[in-house]
Amino acid sequence: MQQRLIEMRGISKAYPGVTALRNVDFELSRGEVRALLGKNGAGKSTLIKIMAGVETPDSGDIDVDGRKGALRSPAEGIKAGIATVHQELSIIPEMSVAENIFLGRWPRRAGSIDWNTLNAEAAAILAQLGFNIDPRVSASQISVAQRQLVEIARAISKGAKVLILDEPTSSLVTQEVEVLLAVIQRLSAAGVGIIYISHRMDEIRRIATSVTVLRDGTHIRTAPVDEVSNSDIVKLMLGDATTASSHRAPAGHVAGKAILSATNLAVLPRVTSASFEVRAGEVLGIAGVLGSGRTELLQALVGLRRPASGQMTLEGAAYAPKDLRAALAAGVFMTPEDRRHEGAVTMLGIDENLVMASWASVSKFGIIQSGKMNQTVNQSIAQLGVKLARPGEALANLSGGNQQKVVIGKALNAKPKVLLLDEPTRGVDVGAKGQIYALMRDLATQGLAVVFVSGELEEFPEVCDRVLILRDGQITGEVTGDDVRTQVLLDATMGERRPA
Amino acid sequence: MTATPTSPAKPAFSLSSFLSGRANEVGLVVGIVVLYAFLAFMAPNFLTPANQLNILRDAAFVGIIAWGMTLVLISGEIDISVGPHVAFAGVVLAKLAASGVPLPMAVLLVLVLGAFIGTVAGFLRARFEVPSFIVTLSLWLALRGIAQVISNAVPIVIMDFDFQRFGSGALFGIPIPAIIMLVLFVVFTFIATRTVFGRSVYAVGGNAEAARLSGIPVAKVRTIVFAISGVLAALTGILMASRLGSGNSGAATGLEFDIIAAVVVGGTSLFGGRGTMLGTLLGVMFIGALVNGLVLMGVDPFAQGIVRGFVILAAVMINIISIRRVRSR
Repeated sequence: MQQRLIEMRGISKAYPGVTALRNVDFELSRGEVRALLGKNGAGKSTLIKIMAGVETPDSGDIDVDGRKGALRSPAEGIKAGIATVHQELSIIPEMSVAENIFLGRWPRRAGSIDWNTLNAEAAAILAQLGFNIDPRVSASQISVAQRQLVEIARAISKGAKVLILDEPTSSLVTQEVEVLLAVIQRLSAAGVGIIYISHRMDEIRRIATSVTVLRDGTHIRTAPVDEVSNSDIVKLMLGDATTASSHRAPAGHVAGKAILSATNLAVLPRVTSASFEVRAGEVLGIAGVLGSGRTELLQALVGLRRPASGQMTLEGAAYAPKDLRAALAAGVFMTPEDRRHEGAVTMLGIDENLVMASWASVSKFGIIQSGKMNQTVNQSIAQLGVKLARPGEALANLSGGNQQKVVIGKALNAKPKVLLLDEPTRGVDVGAKGQIYALMRDLATQGLAVVFVSGELEEFPEVCDRVLILRDGQITGEVTGDDVRTQVLLDATMGERRPA
Repeated sequence: MTATPTSPAKPAFSLSSFLSGRANEVGLVVGIVVLYAFLAFMAPNFLTPANQLNILRDAAFVGIIAWGMTLVLISGEIDISVGPHVAFAGVVLAKLAASGVPLPMAVLLVLVLGAFIGTVAGFLRARFEVPSFIVTLSLWLALRGIAQVISNAVPIVIMDFDFQRFGSGALFGIPIPAIIMLVLFVVFTFIATRTVFGRSVYAVGGNAEAARLSGIPVAKVRTIVFAISGVLAALTGILMASRLGSGNSGAATGLEFDIIAAVVVGGTSLFGGRGTMLGTLLGVMFIGALVNGLVLMGVDPFAQGIVRGFVILAAVMINIISIRRVRSR
């Protein structure tokens, strides 16, 4: 039996405008659990897509279990024995667990599905993996964690020799993570090669045998997990990038008094007890790994989620918004992370999107006052630096960065005292990112409290005066001033817990 | 990308950009001109003033509800209950009049009842997320059923000649229903383009989640849209009862589909977010002229349905293709 499962040599891949991978080598052996690490955009997704046959490399050789040549389609990838479990699961809730495991490959007899064989084979696979799930139950009735196990069972039923897990624990709670890690150890003992993408160092330490770090599309280092410390890994991921930023507050800047505060706030299931305050005139970051409950916390602040317990105060008075409109009236507003689906009505004009949260200020008795509306719109466009042909054109015509500015502009026109920005720079090019940071700083200087949430830690040093660390459902720490550095934040959000 | 803020320049007026922004309406005008040329040639008396006024009067029974239906479709919903609602309103009006309620009072009651029925439908959609097709399908069945029960499926005569002038009379030579339709056209164009409510309808239909996260009261907007549709159906029922001189439970059969067809031919998207009142007006005129012309040409009534079906499909397809071509340029 051959030990090596995957052997990739000199893999390169370019997309229009970006080189995603440059001359990358990668190997994986039977039973190995490899942690694949790198910042967003380091090339992790491209690498696993090439392994699975979803993308074809521009150059380089791939051998999968002795089979030579690149995989040209996902079907070839599956045939070669490579299966990926993505963050977004592909489980069909209306079908039973057994049907999902054999999705599209149901055993047939005389043209119809052979239910007995289907259920028996599904039960056999579930038993082999040690999953306690009834194959006949509907997939809508099992938990997210169990759906993930069903997805793994599907991969194994296809004869997968390599299992790629992309951030598998991001949507799981602690006990569920334990179950998943145990499954991974069992599969690895059975000889399956596993590629594990995660930002949680404690999990990696427990299950991985080796780590590979990518940075800017190049392979930086592969080593047995015992040979590298967490801080080594962080250094390898970051390189020697320096963090000089023009959007930080000038030295000696003092933030105003607390405007919004939370005490023991619980937003279940992710956030169990968060206490913090937001001050006028500051840009406050909230850092946490994927699945730490960053978004849920913001949603509670604007009345989109009801906290299970805990108190909030706004300008000294008790604050418990019953819905988004109440929060808006009180002066707290949020721009959502999913711009396309939640942030804006892209088929409507730029002008309308800009006043959508503040119609009252540009209308009288429900009738729009064009003069006032044009004035507001033109002010916003000038303030935000939106590039456009005419204010009435559809928002869909603008670039992602300009669309995001309009979404922020919409929030600003509602004149909030506290502005929450959930991933405002996602899918935005570098130039527009800089402009959005500058805008955030401007707003803070004018006395607004700006709360900034991002999954990319290297963004915080660009603009934040103070960063809260959200971890294990609590605010576990706070980083201020010159300590706001990517490495410090990485250690705090995903490194080992320091004793308090 | 650089950080230079660009202030919006006043665009110079250009005919081509004006036209390309209204590809849908321009296409419909061309379609109506072609249809008129064809019918003027083929159908005797089509172009006479008397016949044109006839077209306008008949169009009113489609057009008045079509303004509300345009808002319903823009908000991403549908209301198929309007045909039976028209019959229901006429029967209730006649029954009230027959039992001695003064007509002006009866008219007011029917309008309020129409608004109430629409509000309930909208509330069920907005609050309980029952699909609007199902809510209005239930109403479609129930309203005509109630009308038949009340009237025993026999027309209830309304003996009032002043009231009959309302639906069949004319002012300065123009049929009164047509005048009502055109006045409401102006009102609804204003609502759709110049009011917070109107623009909120577009926002809800374009992206309900984004509208909600912008603080737009989505449930309220959805409810009001159906209330408007209900009032307009009741108004059309009153006009029809006036024109027929009776409340008839069999009136307005299939009217809902004529109306939806006119709105869709007018370029309003069944998926929400897009549509104009002007487009609907042109759609109403197009279908009105087509129906009238087929009758004048003496086409077999059964064959008329076939022709209408194909012409409506062709009109919508041409519309979609031309809009796509303009966009991709």
